[in-house]
Amino acid sequence: MSAAAPTMAPVVQELGEAERKSLRSARIRGAVIAAAGLACFAAASGSFDVTATFSFWLVKQGGDAFTIATSVGMLWLLAGIASGVIGIAQMIKGPAFPWRKSLVILVPLYIAAIVAALLDGKTANMTNVFAGTLEYAIPVSLGAFAGILSERSGMLNIAIEGKFLLSACAAAISASLVTTITGSGLAGVCAGVLTAMLAGIGVGFLLAWLGIRHKVDQIIAGVVVNIGAIGITNFVFLRILGKNTWLNTPPTIDRIKIPLLSEIPVVGPLLFSGTPYLYFTIATMLFLTYMLFRTRWGLRLRASGEKPSAAGTVGIDVIKIRYRSMLLAGALAGIAGSYLSLASAGSFQMGMSAGKGFIALAAVIFGAWNPIGAFGAALVFGFSDAIQSLLSILGVDVPPQLLNSVPYLVTIIVVAGVVGRVRGPAAAGQPYDQG
Amino acid sequence: MKRVRRALRPAVVPLLAIFSAFLVGSVFMFITDLENLKHFPTDPVGTIIAGIVHVGDAYYALIIGAFGDPGKIIAAIGSNDPKVIASAIRPLTETLVAASPLIFTGLAVAIAFRSGVFNIGVEGQFIMGAMGATVAVLVLRDLPPPILLVLAIAIGTLTGAAWGFIPGFLKARTGAHEVITTIMLNYVAAQLVLFGLRSDFLRQPGNNAPISKLLSTIVRVPLIFDLPAIRLHWGFVVALLMAAIVSWFIFKTTKGYELRAAGFNLHAARYAGMSAGGSIMLAMTLSGGLAGLGGSFEVLGTAGQMTNDLSAGFGFNAIALALLAGNRPLGIVLAALLFGALRTGGALMQVKTGIPLDLLVFIQALVIMFVAAPLLVRSIFRMNPRPLDEGSPI
Amino acid sequence: MRLELKEITKRFPGVLANDRITISVDKGEVLGLLGENGAGKTTLMNILSGLYRPDSGEILIEGEPRTFDDPRQAIEAGIGMVHQHFQLVPVFDVVESVALGSESVTGPLGTFDRKVARSRVVELSKQYGLNVNPDATIEDLPVGVRQRVEILKALYRKSDVLVLDEPSAVLTPAETEELFAIIRGLAEGGTSVIFITHKLGEVLEVADRITVLRRGAVAGTVLPAETTREHLAQLMVGRDVDLIVDKGPATPGDVVLSLTDVFIKDDRLGMAVKGLSLDVRAGEIVAIAGVQGNGQTELVEAIVGLRTIDSGQMSISGEPIHHASPRHIADLGVAHIPEDRMRDGLIAGMTVKENYILDSYHREPYSGGGRLHADAIASGAATGVKDFDIRTPSIETMAGSLSGGNQQKVVVAREFYRPLKLVIASQPTRGLDVGSIEYIHRRIVEQRDAGAAVLIVSTELDEVLAVGDRVAVMFGGTIAGILEGPEATKDAVGMLMGGGE
Repeated sequence: MSAAAPTMAPVVQELGEAERKSLRSARIRGAVIAAAGLACFAAASGSFDVTATFSFWLVKQGGDAFTIATSVGMLWLLAGIASGVIGIAQMIKGPAFPWRKSLVILVPLYIAAIVAALLDGKTANMTNVFAGTLEYAIPVSLGAFAGILSERSGMLNIAIEGKFLLSACAAAISASLVTTITGSGLAGVCAGVLTAMLAGIGVGFLLAWLGIRHKVDQIIAGVVVNIGAIGITNFVFLRILGKNTWLNTPPTIDRIKIPLLSEIPVVGPLLFSGTPYLYFTIATMLFLTYMLFRTRWGLRLRASGEKPSAAGTVGIDVIKIRYRSMLLAGALAGIAGSYLSLASAGSFQMGMSAGKGFIALAAVIFGAWNPIGAFGAALVFGFSDAIQSLLSILGVDVPPQLLNSVPYLVTIIVVAGVVGRVRGPAAAGQPYDQG
Repeated sequence: MKRVRRALRPAVVPLLAIFSAFLVGSVFMFITDLENLKHFPTDPVGTIIAGIVHVGDAYYALIIGAFGDPGKIIAAIGSNDPKVIASAIRPLTETLVAASPLIFTGLAVAIAFRSGVFNIGVEGQFIMGAMGATVAVLVLRDLPPPILLVLAIAIGTLTGAAWGFIPGFLKARTGAHEVITTIMLNYVAAQLVLFGLRSDFLRQPGNNAPISKLLSTIVRVPLIFDLPAIRLHWGFVVALLMAAIVSWFIFKTTKGYELRAAGFNLHAARYAGMSAGGSIMLAMTLSGGLAGLGGSFEVLGTAGQMTNDLSAGFGFNAIALALLAGNRPLGIVLAALLFGALRTGGALMQVKTGIPLDLLVFIQALVIMFVAAPLLVRSIFRMNPRPLDEGSPI
Repeated sequence: MRLELKEITKRFPGVLANDRITISVDKGEVLGLLGENGAGKTTLMNILSGLYRPDSGEILIEGEPRTFDDPRQAIEAGIGMVHQHFQLVPVFDVVESVALGSESVTGPLGTFDRKVARSRVVELSKQYGLNVNPDATIEDLPVGVRQRVEILKALYRKSDVLVLDEPSAVLTPAETEELFAIIRGLAEGGTSVIFITHKLGEVLEVADRITVLRRGAVAGTVLPAETTREHLAQLMVGRDVDLIVDKGPATPGDVVLSLTDVFIKDDRLGMAVKGLSLDVRAGEIVAIAGVQGNGQTELVEAIVGLRTIDSGQMSISGEPIHHASPRHIADLGVAHIPEDRMRDGLIAGMTVKENYILDSYHREPYSGGGRLHADAIASGAATGVKDFDIRTPSIETMAGSLSGGNQQKVVVAREFYRPLKLVIASQPTRGLDVGSIEYIHRRIVEQRDAGAAVLIVSTELDEVLAVGDRVAVMFGGTIAGILEGPEATKDAVGMLMGGGE
């Protein structure tokens, strides 16, 4: 057999098997969405008489409200139309159609329709819902930033939940202590936040030390820290705080209103008159994004997490970068913990983080290891939690346990990649030998 | 002698870890004894001695509470009074009762670990198993008790297995990280159980608390000893049996070999023709099933009814166990006995000295940390480092 | 600058990697460092680049002793290392990769000044003839281009000494010539170059002086003009090296493996294999030559069932295997020696015995009814160890602690214990010492003579020419040509490897 020239491939190629499969699934997807649209129309036809009212506080809580009123049927109609259009477009265009982006339009419409249907005429105060969203999102995003920092440098950080608990507890105790001693609420709050940061830094250091120096599996170390944190904080709560409640009454944190901006109707009370934590979170998000992607520090950090040997062989101290990022992550998680006990609940309760540390991890994945994305993800989770509160406050006839489960179910769906597969830092969790 | 030394070697690190953890725990107990430390400025030496004595008292209460008072036991051997015997062996049997569910959940975690999957969801799988068994009993209550018992346990096991299958399936098909999905499912399971317990079907009539109707009036797992207030039931024996079965499965069967291979090196397993996704799903399903089995026995044997805190802490304790035991079934049984002893003895310790149970949880966490860092333990105790397996990087 | 390494010694647990090695290179000189796998070349260079510290000996730059505690100090001293396995971050682009560690910054936050770095990269590529798109992402670049990025990295840091570790392993013969031209250009400009390789021909072509390492020590230093390939080989191995495999002529029988117009997708958005057709008959060895990255990996994965083909026909002894599982294909009598034995071939954490049954544990006599037969496994493994001369303390030793050659023997022993129809070997002798290489080749020829069809994929041209009865060259996802007998010369094959006719 001598050399044979490769046969010319036919210009119009028969579709490869993989392509046939994705075309088929695209068509099925489109059909399902369009069919859902039909269901929406059916739902719409019965409910044009039921009102759907969404209200927004104009300037402050309890003051005048600005309302949007429409009918449930209208919402179903909108959802149905959008579904139909997108479904048909998907079927025609096939796999090329950006269906994931279209979810951004579809999902809110569906949620609006479903919520309105459940409310059955009651008014939904959206300012409260969005405020609740932000409140939930603050600790989750701070925790997510901590997760992003550590993972992008190559260290897995499963212990965010534990850090939340420990720092919340520490913050409550020290804030109460300092306030009682000095009589100044401000000093107390500062002490609380500081102690919380130190607690988080301490745990971060422990994890870094175990994982880097002693090559303990980072997932195991994280799980262990979580167990230990629950044990310690429960122990402290029962043994110490139970009898000495004065140690668990931290001062309240005032909201800060930004002059002028907080006067804007609707948006003002929502975005510009929050606790200092809100501003800190947004500032951190922007700052971290810039630092990670535009500076030398960020470049080296990302190299440490993607391919540490590439950094090590040009003389970068990967170990030092990893230690530092773990400490910084610990500080951020600590601040988030202080938020839980000082601003959100007003005191420390056992197990008060309720899984937010793990939801923060999900936000990291959902947000593609990007601070802005993680914040967005935290908002999504926060929204689901806020809607659940809204529905239960308004006495909607849905079992509270189902509503309580929503954030967790949403997390699972997100992590299972239904919304899109992303890649994390390649070397996360693998110990690096600097020779 | 060398044989004995080699056999004992895997136990050295765990034992040292336990010792160190208790040491740290003692220090913690000492410094949180605020009542005592209040006297420090006036009488330092006395305070320190008192503090140490308090710690000693606590440990004494712990041991007695876990295994029983030796004096009482000796006296009981001679007497024929069931009450006396019962009271003497009660601590030990309570320890075994506490250990049984830990054996099940520890095995569940171990089988998953060996297959390369982190199953943090045993707690959820445990209570789902218990729920399954509860519902089965209430629905099928008219069946003859022996059949009902077996069927209910089977259904409970399957429910747990299904709850374990979900994250396994998600990981195999979508790569979803099982640490997050299993933990989320724990929370969902807790909500499901609450929901079920508030429903009319399961709820105890006239009671608002999340407790189910009494199941023990319908059927219960037979007790081993017919003595007053002795709760030890055959579930314990089944647990020991499962340890043996799991050990046989992992080391002596082809499927067990596949799981272990996948746990060590998923790539090579794939290249050898094993189905990576299949191994993951099988491991998680078996794991969930073991946890569900434990839950079924706990609700039908020990508790007698379904409550929403049935699995209090079993999940994380199971992880601690598995790590402590190096994922070896025999070690798991021993570690479960230890943890069971801590729980039972801890209850007495709490009563006698006011030190809350959570300190023991803390100590357990320390134990795992020390175990998970063998190098750390070795360097603390200045043992010879094992020869490093570094390949020669020429 | 003049660089000297004097009496460098480095020990690792159980092995003396460098034994009082002394080498030197002058300004503008190209030193060829020759040695087979395991001779200590990479360790020596890791010491030079600051990754390791020598147990004794010294490094002298312009006569001044220097110590490097970390790579940064070595880089500052002017040592630029181009590693065999590229140290590039896949998700970074060229500018970021080149500048990493020596980034220029502006502003209070330490913002990375990309403009400055980019213009310098462009300038350097023009100056040295290293064509690279500065904005391309590393993982999108072919291997040959990535190597240029590595070289740019060293030049960006103003290296006086450039150390290239096995650079031609990933290049076609044509690209290798280009590389040599670049090296000569660098040398003329005053840069010293240390060129590490195990290929005799290359070192004779490009080096001004050649130092041969053998078993961690210097075996000799010669000038290219005063030596021959045979002489070098002797220095390298200590005895006459047989570069020809001892085999009789092939007696091809029926077609066992048949591939027709096969298309296979790669892991990203393109096609790895585009319309490939090939037949392998019983009793012959077909060697697929080609630079890594032309679809060989994907092709092998598809044949053994680990990857689906997009279109085309694939069959073994007439039976189509498009949707067959790896197990089914193995059961048809197919053996596979994977490319990456540590990752895909062996389980380091399991014992030799347990590894021995890795693909046969589900069959008699090793198991029955789902239960493993411990005695049969132990005796089978023991027989395998004996037959294949595997040096291991016992069958209970962890596979991860064996040497590369013995590990490969475990894989081969495992695959070859039963009668086979088809043997597929990917890079079967990569990283092995000469003794093991000879052994593996012998066993493969044995299989051929017993009637199996053999398909070898190798990037080592010497191996392909020595072992293959027919040589098929893969380029760009398809067979560029098939040569046999007198037609199969190094030049002819090299041409096809580079895309020529």
